[in-house]
Amino acid sequence: MLQIRNASVRFPAADGSTVHALDHVSLDIPPSSIVVALGASGCGKSTLLNSIAGFLPLTEGSITLDGVEIKQPGGDRGVVFQKDTLLPWANVIDNVALGLKYQGVPKSERYESARKLLRLVDLTEFADKPPYELSGGMRQRVGIARALATDPKILLMDEPFGALDSLTRETMQQLLASLWARTEKQIFFITHSIEEALILGTEIVVMSPRPGRIIARYSADFVRQFAETGDIGPIMSDPRFIELREAIRDLIHRPDTRGFGGLQ
Amino acid sequence: MTIAADHRTDIPAEAAKNSRRRLPATERGTLGISVATFSVLAALWLVATKYHWVSSLFFPSPDEVVRQFVDVATFGYADGSLLDHVLSSLGRLFAALLIGVGLGIPVGLAMGINRWARGVFSVPIDLYWGLPPLAYLPLLIIWLGIGETSKIVLLTLSTFAPICFSAQAGVRSVPPERVNAALSLGANRAQIFTSIILPSALPEILTGLRIAIGAGLSTLVAAELIAARSGIGYMIMSAANFLAIDVVFVGLIVIAVLAFTFAFLMRLLERRLVPWKGKL
Ligand SMILES: Nc1ncnc2c1ncn2[C@@H]1O[C@H](COP(=O)(O)OP(=O)(O)O)[C@@H](O)[C@H]1O
Ligand SMILES: [Mg+2]
Repeated sequence: MLQIRNASVRFPAADGSTVHALDHVSLDIPPSSIVVALGASGCGKSTLLNSIAGFLPLTEGSITLDGVEIKQPGGDRGVVFQKDTLLPWANVIDNVALGLKYQGVPKSERYESARKLLRLVDLTEFADKPPYELSGGMRQRVGIARALATDPKILLMDEPFGALDSLTRETMQQLLASLWARTEKQIFFITHSIEEALILGTEIVVMSPRPGRIIARYSADFVRQFAETGDIGPIMSDPRFIELREAIRDLIHRPDTRGFGGLQ
Repeated sequence: MTIAADHRTDIPAEAAKNSRRRLPATERGTLGISVATFSVLAALWLVATKYHWVSSLFFPSPDEVVRQFVDVATFGYADGSLLDHVLSSLGRLFAALLIGVGLGIPVGLAMGINRWARGVFSVPIDLYWGLPPLAYLPLLIIWLGIGETSKIVLLTLSTFAPICFSAQAGVRSVPPERVNAALSLGANRAQIFTSIILPSALPEILTGLRIAIGAGLSTLVAAELIAARSGIGYMIMSAANFLAIDVVFVGLIVIAVLAFTFAFLMRLLERRLVPWKGKL
């Protein structure tokens, strides 16, 4: 269980004022859940994720993972960013096995684990390729496999499919849903797409900017169906899906939720 | 149920785009032009000397240079064979590069990582790096004598700085997300250094080595022109003193060949060590 209590992050702005990137945010990410943070750019989603990852200290409040306070980055929290951070000098399998190498796992063992994960993300025949010979979608799959290799408690994903074309994006969503259905790993996922949030989230928190706050929370359960059928069509035309989507759209286009005009 | 993303739709567009970007038409196109330019220049040289457009006292003909090259290579010039001169020049250069790399990389890396190292080392390096090496050669000769030591120290100073600066720049060019991602995979400080920072800095370090070789070669020849008893620079200066223009040309050609060979070897080294440079 990941618990965020009253988390605030403030940055000094260039003009001497203070940016309230995150303002008293409280959030639980229970085991086997996919919590999705949804909001336009600048509402503090990445700030929240970076704090959970331990890259960014909180100004106020606390974040605990299974009761232990988070102070720095660690192998118990895997991260996947929009832009992959694969090592260009290492081939795909060595990238996937990197975390295990850090743990001192012998080569044959870590290759075995890495091969299993590569099979899971369907990249078996690319094991010996350098990452720059792979497409964007494939690189993100390597990134996910790498983050899963050390079996972290939670997976933190910051708009991981944001830079992909829509077809690749859908197959990636499908892949993530089925990976989650198999492993039930807790995931914190950031997106600015309402559809993506609904199709993947078991819980969706909507955020608004200046100050960065959670303004609404929704539960959803389309991800199980999506994982089973792999078909996004019927879900999108499900009346409950449409109702939630419209509710969120209304909320974020309401004039009193400032700065949300850019979101669709 | 399929969990697999369909890579048949996934690969080709980007891969094709990349391969096209990696082979710019300009790189292929210039080879022919370069060969043509070279031939024209060579022909012009030949014709200009054949028909005495220029005095052979100042501008020897190609065949004279070739003859002189063979002559110097077999019988030597200025107290040594051509090979002796080349070897003694190369010996100085390699000794200096060895020390320059051995000191420059660790100092540069330390400067990139540590604020104190940066503060302490940047002052003396900035101070001497602004000086033309030949300006302080007399000082080195007074301190260390006219022998090999002063020349190797001079060359070491001129190769150290570019390598040191590039190692430092290499560390600072490491994307912070790459370090963060490694930390999230459980890397400790030593692992971050060896598995992330060092390889990320390698392309810059090799660029620095290339610059250092260039700086070293020009400092070397200049130093040999004024204070040496052997080496290509010394050979050129001795020949110039007797107006042996063809031998001067032989020396220049040898230096050009050396510079070209170094550039070629560096490109090989880069292709071998950092084939991923500029990608991803
Ligand atoms: N290092 C920083 N220094 C100053 N301001 C920052 C910094 N990082 C983020 N911010 C500001 O905090 C706010 C939230 O940013 P971010 O968390 O990146 O938003 P999101 O990921 O939702 O787009 C933005 O207004 C951004 O400009
Ligand atoms: Mg962001």
